[in-house]
Amino acid sequence: MPTTITIDPLTRIEGHLDIEVTVDRVRGQQQVVSARSGGSMFRGFEMILIGRDPRDAGPYTQRICGVCPAPHAMAACLTLDHAFGVTPPENGRILRNLVLGANFIDSHLLHFYHLSVLDYVNTAGLLDRAPWVPRYSAPDMVGGATAQTLVSHYVTALHMRRKAHQMGALFGGKLPHVGSFVVGGCTETVTSEKIAEFRSLLSEIRDFITNVYVPDAQLLGELFAAYYNLGRGHGNLLAFGGFDLNASGSSQFFPAGRYTAGAAGSFDPAQIVEQVTSSWYTDACGNRHPSQGLTEPDADKPAAYTWCKAPRYANLPHELGPLARMWVKNAYNRGISAMDRIVARALECRLLADAMNQWLDELLPGAPTYTPSAVPSQAAAAGLTEAPRGGLGHWIEVSNGLISRYQVVTPSAWNASPRDQLNQMGPIEAALIGLPIADLNQPVEVLRVVHSFDPCMACAVHLLRPGQRPGEQRVQVRVGSSTRRLLCAASERR
Amino acid sequence: MRIGRRDFLKLAAAAAAAGRLAPAALAALKEVLAGREAPRVIWLQGAGCDGCAVSLLNSIHYATADELLLNTLDVKFQSNVMAAAGDLAVNAAEAARVQPGYILIVEGAIPVGADGRYCRLWTGTSMQAGLQSYAANAAFIVALGTCACYGGVSAGAPNPTTARGVGQLLGNDSRLINVPGCPAHPDWLVGTLTYLLTHQQLPPIDAHRRPLEFFGRRVHDQCYKRHKLCGTTPLADRLGEEGCLEYLGCKGKKTYSDCPLRRWNSGGQGKYGVNWCVGARGPCLGCVNPNFPDGMSPFYVYSPTP
Repeated sequence: MPTTITIDPLTRIEGHLDIEVTVDRVRGQQQVVSARSGGSMFRGFEMILIGRDPRDAGPYTQRICGVCPAPHAMAACLTLDHAFGVTPPENGRILRNLVLGANFIDSHLLHFYHLSVLDYVNTAGLLDRAPWVPRYSAPDMVGGATAQTLVSHYVTALHMRRKAHQMGALFGGKLPHVGSFVVGGCTETVTSEKIAEFRSLLSEIRDFITNVYVPDAQLLGELFAAYYNLGRGHGNLLAFGGFDLNASGSSQFFPAGRYTAGAAGSFDPAQIVEQVTSSWYTDACGNRHPSQGLTEPDADKPAAYTWCKAPRYANLPHELGPLARMWVKNAYNRGISAMDRIVARALECRLLADAMNQWLDELLPGAPTYTPSAVPSQAAAAGLTEAPRGGLGHWIEVSNGLISRYQVVTPSAWNASPRDQLNQMGPIEAALIGLPIADLNQPVEVLRVVHSFDPCMACAVHLLRPGQRPGEQRVQVRVGSSTRRLLCAASERR
Repeated sequence: MRIGRRDFLKLAAAAAAAGRLAPAALAALKEVLAGREAPRVIWLQGAGCDGCAVSLLNSIHYATADELLLNTLDVKFQSNVMAAAGDLAVNAAEAARVQPGYILIVEGAIPVGADGRYCRLWTGTSMQAGLQSYAANAAFIVALGTCACYGGVSAGAPNPTTARGVGQLLGNDSRLINVPGCPAHPDWLVGTLTYLLTHQQLPPIDAHRRPLEFFGRRVHDQCYKRHKLCGTTPLADRLGEEGCLEYLGCKGKKTYSDCPLRRWNSGGQGKYGVNWCVGARGPCLGCVNPNFPDGMSPFYVYSPTP
């Protein structure tokens, strides 16, 4: 007899996510036979950007996500660099990479210790108060000395991730939401004192990553080896490429590429489309490249179950994130599974932190960090980079010096996407199929697989607007059976 | 690993020594913490980015996040950190709600468009309905971050989801205090909570219901980059230059917060931060203002020096 369980809210993520799984007996084993991933919060960011000064895209889009603001700042600045035709000085490029790297480290530590590890550890006797009770107590959870160690590292990691933010703020102004990223570079300057301060914090954090985080992730893999064979999903991996190592971006620390149906492939941004078959948007919004995207919310759409769209590459669902990056970089190829995601994330963190230490050597104290530029009257451009959770893309159109179109496609939109027009499941949905569930009242297996993707739902749910005349906003919002059309002149707002 | 309550009090004493907590308040805090259960907190997240929650994890000046979570507060529901999920989590929140006297922290705006369906807390409960229900039994309501206070970025024109701040929905509720910022500085929240717990009443507030201790002075007047502080600090002509950013879009003259002195991302107990927006030669965005972002943008301008 199939049973459907809904986990809403699915906690220990960023944003609002609900997961519905149907569990049935298959060959004598109780397992997931159907899964739905839903995003339950919608803000309409890209609609809010219309008619604004293009330089404001950075401050606005960062506020899509408090966990990964620097990647949005980076993507927005790259987009604007291209649109304005400006190249940041070397110092500016490196400062952006260092702040982005600090955000990666913060996010990866937070994910492993604070969002994930509680799925695997019996914290009874160690964390006996809210918010750690109530809790699940699955029989396979690790206890004893190992639990004690992991919980103590949970606390230490709180401090380490705080220090990662402190490190990023040295050149970013503050975190979350950096204040120094601008088109043409970074407003903060380079001094030998700041380099030394950054290096000192990085050194302490690298020590923790190398001697605590990576061993803990690998230990989890040994203790829960079954998860190397669970949560695989489609097995398609995609990386946009990020952390430019030269001014043109022709060399990147994480190269772009993909692994589709068992074969390596190249990445062509033109192959990205977004589908809305299962999303609360009108059908006209489907099957579009982000640069031509359209979104009209339709909260009453039959059969839709999420505010998240379904991005696809060459019509195929792909998984984005540290595993995809490490795979494309030829730095990890053990396999594709829930545990591979966790271990690849830790190894990526170590690799990146080591590289950041070298990038510090390339900074030139006193040399420029910013190249001035002027707002173009007309422009269209894209900025693709990597966020902690995977490839991130921003697309802009500028008309009469103002934003006339802005589109954001985030990694979690790919990973937490719903079914598409071909009825292909999203990566998280597919990864849940076949997952054995021991106890319907304690669906920790579902949490483990979903958390392995580190979903970020405030990022995943976004909105873009119809093509329109500059200075005019056209927003169609369906409420019940009535349709309201809102027209708003930008001049009234500014 | 464990930090006892006694240790926390020592840290509170350190904070008092740093000049932020009056000794009388500290004594009261000791009494409060010694004499009763840890204060209960329910933390709801609406239309926002969770950046204020992440910012709180950066807390260290008054107390660190682990001290707050392990020893000081009894956080019954906080979606980012709680062990439980789904029904187990919702039941914990509901069980806490029926016992009056908790502190309700609201992060993110409350969309009221489409009958609240743009944001739901969990199945069957929109953020809009959740706020009304959880506000009823709260002793204090802390609107955390500019979205929760006034709508913030989530309510930026054309405000597609009709996002609102807590005060707009609850009216001039005497239990409500606004701690804005995008995100809110962790010290602003921890300092405000400390005052609420030690005094059992709101601290002195301004017309926007913000605690005067943190939002009482104008950024420009405290800024060491301002034009007239000394004859050698010029107006910056372009971004990246040393000097006052007034003509490059800085909103320091329209903004009241202690950012220039407190700064952000502190590295130690009793210490102020390592940097801030203007410190990094970026303009103040005015993110603590009720009219942020629309009244504060464009954030960058190329105005020639007069």
